[in-house]
This record gives sequence, structure tokens and C-alpha cells, in this order.
Amino acid sequence: MSQEKKIEFEVDRRFDPVKSRHFLNGVCTVLHCHHYATLYSQLALDAVNFNGADHLVEASEDTFYEVLNSYYLNKGATTAEEKVEIARQYWQAVGMGLIQFTGVGKFEILAEMEYSHLDEGWLKKWGGSKKPVNLFTVGFVAAVAALVNEKPVRSFRVTETKSLVCGDEKSEFKGVAA
Amino acid sequence: MTIDRKKIIEEMSKVKILGNEEGMIPVFGVYVQQLPAAIWNGFARRMINSVPEHLVPAAEELLINAAHECGYHTGHGIITSEEFKTVVGPMLEKMPEDVLHGAFAVFTAWGWAKSEVTELIPNQKMVVRAYDYYESDIISYGKTNRPAAFMITGVSGAFMDLAYGGPYDPKGKTGIYTFKCQQTKGIEMGDDYGEFVVTRNQA
Repeated sequence: MSQEKKIEFEVDRRFDPVKSRHFLNGVCTVLHCHHYATLYSQLALDAVNFNGADHLVEASEDTFYEVLNSYYLNKGATTAEEKVEIARQYWQAVGMGLIQFTGVGKFEILAEMEYSHLDEGWLKKWGGSKKPVNLFTVGFVAAVAALVNEKPVRSFRVTETKSLVCGDEKSEFKGVAA
Repeated sequence: MTIDRKKIIEEMSKVKILGNEEGMIPVFGVYVQQLPAAIWNGFARRMINSVPEHLVPAAEELLINAAHECGYHTGHGIITSEEFKTVVGPMLEKMPEDVLHGAFAVFTAWGWAKSEVTELIPNQKMVVRAYDYYESDIISYGKTNRPAAFMITGVSGAFMDLAYGGPYDPKGKTGIYTFKCQQTKGIEMGDDYGEFVVTRNQA
């Protein structure tokens, strides 16, 4: 009888008392609130003439590509199933919400969020939006899509197609190979 | 009793924060997330580098403003929290000055910046020094010619708002922006430490 392998994202937290910095699995992290995240997002979305949204998506994709790739290498996670499950648990652990990867393929990736730090924060702060606003997760999904397919960053173009801030029941993200 | 920074940092740095079953961290009256410092630095750098020179101060101001609002609301949540009351509460004698000193010890404990208040004229001026902070990590790409610790700048102003700006307003319509902060030194510019001077906002 085969036994199902349980995939668990391991959390190793450390505080460096000399530099006063926190590390999560060796990565310097910082606590910030929804005001900070939503105002950064608003700034990115408003800066249309300066590609603000692209800057935030790319900062997100680059950061999480490196964080997840390092973790996968360290823990020997090689299959698509392992990688998306670790990514899901990571997003949950750091307080970004509950993400489910509903379709992961060579040319396409689909994900949805029932709970989202950015969207809940936006709703709490401003009440809603006509357009999706979760650029952090767009970048995160792009990073996961690239890593699952063992491709570099910018290999997938991700769009948020439904959004909690727009009144949808779930946020949805669709990525296609670039 | 005076503020025991070492004890506050030791105790408050132990606070473990992880997402709940919904992947959310609702604490101190706000939602919190714990992301790599690199994402905040990465976006700020990209924005500053992409705007024309004459718009750089405006872009910086928006980044500072994000931190000012964050510091005002989260700061209020922290200084009214049970954790703060338990750890810092017994050390408080002179109000609100001791709260400010305690708040910067928490600021340090949470990894925002290894910082302390070095000068405080009640209701008028505060000087903060930061000896290590994640925003200075951009120096790995070379020294900057302008200060870039937008988060510390904004939060320092917000903490003075909370101390001397009147009653806390959860809607942020009053009480906030009664002080402004200017960064006068920065590790990212090659200085030994970051320095932040907060004064009354005359605007």
C-alpha cells in the first residue's frame, strides 16, 4: 500500500539581536500592515505613465522567485505538486491569504484566492475598487508558474481576472506563457 | 523605572506571528503580513529610478506617506495592545515621552530598524537614529545621493502624531500629519547611521 507524502512548509524563524533583524528561513523579512501594502499598491496603480504596476509585479516576482527557489533547492522539492503546495503554504504563513492553484501546466497557470491580505485590507481601507488591485499576488503567481516549469522570471504573464475588491466571491489569476 | 530598551527588544522580538487558517494575520487592529524586505526595497528603487528627476521628490513623498499612514494606525494598535501594556506598561512614568521611547524599542524588536530616540523636545521635536535598517540594503548597489529610508521617515512622523497630535482618529482625518520628518543622514548614503528629524508640520 502506498503512503501519501505529506508536504509541509517548514518555518524557521530567527531574530538577529545584533542587527535587530528577523529572518524567515534565512530571508530577511519585515512586518508591515495593510495600510502600507495597499498604499504601495495604489501608488503603483496610479503611476501609469511610469509603469508603476509593472514595477510592483516585477519586484514581487523577482523576490518570491528567489525565496521559493532557494527553499525548493534546500528541501529537495522537485515536483510540480510539491512546489505549488509549498507556495500555497508559504503565502498562508506570511499572512498574504489563502491561495489555491487550480491549474498548473506548461503553458498556463490558474489560481484563486478566497481570502487575501491585500484585498481585505483594501476593502477595509477604501471599500472597493472597479479594477483588481492585487499586484503582489500577480507577481507571486508568475514566480510559481516559472519555477514549476523550471523557467526564468518573466516566463509567464499573469492577469488578475476576478477580484474580491470588485465584489467577486474569489480573486482569480490566470497566467500564460510569455 | 525608566524604559529598559534591552528588555523590551528581548521580549517583543519573541512575538510569533503566523497566518491563521485563512492565511490572514489580524493583529493590533490591522492586517499584518511578513514579506521579504527585498520586495519593499525593490519596488521603491524601481519607482524612484523610473520617474524624471524633477518628480523624484514627489515619488519619495508618496513612499513616505505610505509609511506615515501605516505608522499612525499600526503604531496606535501597538501602543494600545496587551503585549505593549504587559511589557512596556510597567516602565512608563513620563507620558507620552516614555511611550515614544518604548515604541522605538518595539520598532527595533520587530525588525523595522535598530533605532532609538536621541533627542526629544516634547510637543516640538524628536531626533531618531537608526544604526541598522533594511532600507539601507540598497547600498549593495552603490551609495545613493539622496536619503532612501522612506519607511523610517514616515513612521517617525506618525509616532510624534500619536504622542502629540491629539486623539487618535481611526479614519485618519485628524491627528495625523501634525508632524513631518526629514531624513538628514543615511547608511545608504555612506553615513554611519541614519538620522531622522521630526518637527511640527507648518503646512
